[in-house]
Amino acid sequence: MKIYFTKIEGKTIRFYLLVAVLTVLASGGLYSSYLMYTKGHYLTGMNNQVPWGMPIVLTIYLIGLSAGSLVLSSLSSVFGQTEYKSFARVAAYLAALLLVGALLSLSLDLGRPERITMAFFYLNPTSIFSWNGFLYSAYIVICIVYLWAMFTERAKWVKAIGTLAVVWAICVHSGTGAIFGFVSGRELYHSPLTPPSFVAAALSSGTALIIILLLLTFKCTKRYLDPQLIIGLSRLLVAFILVVFYLIVIENLTRLYAPATYEAAHFLLFSGNEYCLVFWIGLILIGSIIPAIILFNPKTKDSIGWIVFSSVLVVIGVLCERFIIVIPGQVFPVELFPGYEVSSPFMDGAIGSYLISPLEVIQAVGILAIVGLLYVLGLKLFALLPTEAKK
Amino acid sequence: MDRRTFLKIGGGLVLGAAIAPLPQLVSLLRAEDTASGKTKLGMVIDLNKCKPGCTICVDACRKENNVPPDNYWLRVANIKPKFPNAQNRPIPLLCNHCEDPFCVKVCLVKASFKRKDGIVLIDEHRCIGCRYCMIVCPYKSRSFVFKKTNKWTNPDVPKRMHGVVEKCNFCVHRIDKGLMPACVDACPEKAMVFGNLNNSQSEIAKLIASGKTKTIRPDLSSKPKVYYLGL
Repeated sequence: MKIYFTKIEGKTIRFYLLVAVLTVLASGGLYSSYLMYTKGHYLTGMNNQVPWGMPIVLTIYLIGLSAGSLVLSSLSSVFGQTEYKSFARVAAYLAALLLVGALLSLSLDLGRPERITMAFFYLNPTSIFSWNGFLYSAYIVICIVYLWAMFTERAKWVKAIGTLAVVWAICVHSGTGAIFGFVSGRELYHSPLTPPSFVAAALSSGTALIIILLLLTFKCTKRYLDPQLIIGLSRLLVAFILVVFYLIVIENLTRLYAPATYEAAHFLLFSGNEYCLVFWIGLILIGSIIPAIILFNPKTKDSIGWIVFSSVLVVIGVLCERFIIVIPGQVFPVELFPGYEVSSPFMDGAIGSYLISPLEVIQAVGILAIVGLLYVLGLKLFALLPTEAKK
Repeated sequence: MDRRTFLKIGGGLVLGAAIAPLPQLVSLLRAEDTASGKTKLGMVIDLNKCKPGCTICVDACRKENNVPPDNYWLRVANIKPKFPNAQNRPIPLLCNHCEDPFCVKVCLVKASFKRKDGIVLIDEHRCIGCRYCMIVCPYKSRSFVFKKTNKWTNPDVPKRMHGVVEKCNFCVHRIDKGLMPACVDACPEKAMVFGNLNNSQSEIAKLIASGKTKTIRPDLSSKPKVYYLGL
């Protein structure tokens, strides 16, 4: 059964209105970046104890969404699930956009973003962050070549590059996890489970996002989308949710068990602060337990409405997970003198604080708007959507 | 042997040859000790001579290096054992100029580097301000310049623009002229000793050789070169 891919008309008032709104949000985001760049990072909520804030959380979140999308786009060519060929192009395009958004978020967070080219000239082989720079740029090239192969209908190329893309996506996101997992000085970062847990969360959040976006896109463009395809994706989603949950349980149990890391783990999980709330309510309840129940319950698991709802919960839950990975590990002080209480004017030994500033929120919304804008314009410029998606 | 078998064996050999160097790549995970020269600069701080409430070294460092108000290149912390009726003791904390520095290992652009004499420096023209070095430093030695500053108390020290990371550099502009770091000079109790660890006749080498000095978190194996007496 041949699938016909066509561009969307994109001439309705609604379309133009959407483009206008996204452009306004994007401009707001870029303006706040400009303010941060010219005046300094004191305008953000970051400080010397918590040097990484929302921009980094957004960066790793978008990289995860991107890697998940790319794996999904390869479901038909690499994993033989040919019924998903209908949205291979959209998913691959989205993967490229989300990574562009991630790099934008990362570059705009730099203290000196005009020096970003230095990162390409001076690869530091011992720095996993440096390796990631190489992995991310190659990833975008791979996405573009993959899209080219799909547009020109070269099936053998699609399969070969699709396989490379899946492997590369796993490397990219394991590398992103390793940025945190390799840091031996911080108890809440150091863990060999961070790379696999990142990949699992990428797959779950990517699947959830694809479900939501596909339903929205097909509905707004009035094209037919077979509910069986979405139900099939939801089965994958629940599997990924369980894997993420499993890895989080193991990681936290291990940290609680060892006396050296117990205090840090206790701070995150049981001390009643805002990070506990984000962990238990955001990640565990909203991100894992409720979606899993919905997607297993025979009364709700085949209903598109409930699937979309649980996808939204997963999208929120994984964002909470990224937050939990980045912020508490910095807020909890590095242990300089085990067995001693430490205090200093530089906040040694003290619990740090990080409050998301309005500028960071505006910048984050702006970056998401840019990704959205490129997506919407891409639907009009490229033949990404099938005329109908049947199983 | 037919062509297919030949190709299969050939392909296997090529793949094997391609994978063979992989174990050596693992060595990239460890930063090489590129700066192993004759000089190995370090510091010993005698905590028995440190007076509670004194911040003379901190103030001297701030003035000498134009350190922005919220940043600390050198700070005095107070430590107190988790024990009933324990007392606070002061301890100056600064960059340890480690022999296996985590910051040098992770710097994206190699802006943080180790000089041949063992001092860990930051090339402020290259630093992109990503702050990964701040994340990995276990000693919290680094500060980020959050705000543009125009007040410079010392014209001899380069100005640092906002958006880069900075830290103690053992007053490299002074030691290259044969002087001592500002904190060492300023301390009225002469609690700080700076010198070449590789020179067995130097005061610092004798202090460390006595076995009475300790470093902070030696278990992390960053091999810090700031030692403490009386810790």
